[in-house]
Amino acid sequence: MLVQQLINGLTLGSVYALIALGYTMVYGIIELINFAHGEIYMLGAYMGIISFSFLTTLHLTSPTSGVTFLIMMIVAVLFCGACGVTMERVAYRPLRGASRLSPLISALGVSIFLQNFVMLAQGPRDKGFPHLFSGGGIDFPGGRISAIQIFIMATSVIMMVGLQLLVHGTKIGKAMRATAQDKQMASLVGIDVDRVISVTFLIGSALAAVAGVMVGMYYGLINFFIGYIAGIKAFTAAVLGGIGNIPGAMLGGLLLGLIEALGAGYISSEYKDVFAFAILVVVLIFRPSGLLGKDISGRV
Amino acid sequence: MISGWRIWCVMAGAIVVLALGQAHAASAIKIGVAGPFTGDQGAIGEQGKNGAIIAVEEWNAKGGVLGKKIEVVWGDDQHDPKQAVAVANKFLNEGVAGVIGHYNSSCSIPASTIYHDGKVVQISWGSTNPQLTDRGLWNVFRTIGRDDQQGSVAAAFIAKKLKKTKVVVLHDKTTAGQGQADEVVKALDKDKIKPVYYGAITQGEKDYRPVLTAVKQKNPEALYYGGYYPEAILLTKQMRELGMKAVFVSSDGVWQQEYIDIAGKAAEGAFITFTPDQTKIKEAQGVIKKHKEKFGSDVGAYTVYSYVAANMLLDAIAATKSTDGPKLANHIRKTKWKTALGPIQFDKKGDVLVSPFVVWEVRDGKFVEVR
Repeated sequence: MLVQQLINGLTLGSVYALIALGYTMVYGIIELINFAHGEIYMLGAYMGIISFSFLTTLHLTSPTSGVTFLIMMIVAVLFCGACGVTMERVAYRPLRGASRLSPLISALGVSIFLQNFVMLAQGPRDKGFPHLFSGGGIDFPGGRISAIQIFIMATSVIMMVGLQLLVHGTKIGKAMRATAQDKQMASLVGIDVDRVISVTFLIGSALAAVAGVMVGMYYGLINFFIGYIAGIKAFTAAVLGGIGNIPGAMLGGLLLGLIEALGAGYISSEYKDVFAFAILVVVLIFRPSGLLGKDISGRV
Repeated sequence: MISGWRIWCVMAGAIVVLALGQAHAASAIKIGVAGPFTGDQGAIGEQGKNGAIIAVEEWNAKGGVLGKKIEVVWGDDQHDPKQAVAVANKFLNEGVAGVIGHYNSSCSIPASTIYHDGKVVQISWGSTNPQLTDRGLWNVFRTIGRDDQQGSVAAAFIAKKLKKTKVVVLHDKTTAGQGQADEVVKALDKDKIKPVYYGAITQGEKDYRPVLTAVKQKNPEALYYGGYYPEAILLTKQMRELGMKAVFVSSDGVWQQEYIDIAGKAAEGAFITFTPDQTKIKEAQGVIKKHKEKFGSDVGAYTVYSYVAANMLLDAIAATKSTDGPKLANHIRKTKWKTALGPIQFDKKGDVLVSPFVVWEVRDGKFVEVR
């Protein structure tokens, strides 16, 4: 069972990691917990279904082809990226000079708005998500890894590696790191801080969109409220790994998924959330900045 | 800063609106209808809503009750006990003559205390947990049966018909879900069967694979789930994805077409307990037909229960010529009702005297009663 639980946990954790990255990047750059980020993930899932329905009912592509899936992903990514950038422009940028509380409340407002908008537009019921992966998988003595699980883990790894390459190997990545370190200095050396912030939101939202589409396929069911729960878990993961730290979000996400799976499997399914949060509390007591976070108390 | 006189205008306007609202209310009789109208159990909430709508329209077409039009105050509790309490208080503030609701036992029970203190009659159209009526509150009734009966039907089916001895029992920590799971455990015990695993899942979550993986280790032959259809869909799908062959058995909260539609092939062969086929009851044909004409779809699991409850309340108001809670409750309890579900009579706790539960099977994408 251990191997099966590890597979379950890593799959779950990969999804948490993708969403957590959005939280951590935005926090790193403008010190805002974007509470509406979970809703971007939810929108990604819905865009997946909408584009799938569009394609298949017009018989443009077959329901099980890879092309359909690719188009779903691209549509979701573009839509959510646009949402993320718009959200920043409309709800956060005007409040950039204000106290820390204002953009936070604004974020909550955006979150409530998006949840209710989708509820009114798409209906309050669950929507079934199309099955693009048939029950294929690999059986082995310890358990079974299904095709979709392999796919989720692979996609997450590719996204995360891609992100690291972007942040450490490109000019815009360097600009992002500089802005995260010191916004004022970055603008003084000629970095377009507004653009960097928009790009950060774009990337974070794109990752959340990918997570949304994959989760839709994995569980086969979505509703307007999934962003809330996923958002809380992913935020926890980001804090666990060190908020503002990109490898930290990845580590936090995977760890949280594993803790939940192993806790539910071995100790008690009823208290599974208790373990996840208990471990978070313990980690923060001994490492207040999270597992990979830097101790910022010495900043002058 | 808004200037002084503008604030006065807004306040004056608000006062006028409030006054007008009150004036309108005095000329109608209000009843409260509560249920999970929005949220993931919305499909069930809609059934309660439609049943009440048909009943109220029928009465209003005949001139309302006590010479006044009947106005429905809707209470959406989203299957959240805290919302249910807010809804209950709202109903009392609006001065409703009675409440048709709620659906979830976790909502009906806390609300019932508020209705009791407010001396308002409550008829639930779907709460099955025994505690609702066991507390002996004079104002509480229900048109559906109880989980001690439902649980023993399920347990007897598993033990005697399916002859499964390795049983896993799961629930969703809600009043009804956990209650059903515990009743099944109690009933299985009479057949000397002890569950190989007893656990809980959380509502609203999506991934039950960790729990199911742990459960799979015990090689169960049957899995009983106490809870509602949103989680049942996920459990069933994930069970099959993990390669589990155990039979899935559950209760009335899962007897929904959504369960079959969304779980798809994975739902085949599942057994769900519910009340006998309503389409075979001749008294129900009228409301079934009306529902088809008005809403274009078949009645759901609870539509007729809500319809019957609303009719009982309105009938009681007409018969006692009052909206006094204790008088209405007395009338409801003493009357030998002839309803769309057949003859109904209440015992002194507020339960119907006869309420059978039978087992249905998911076969070829439909619910089929098991003989």
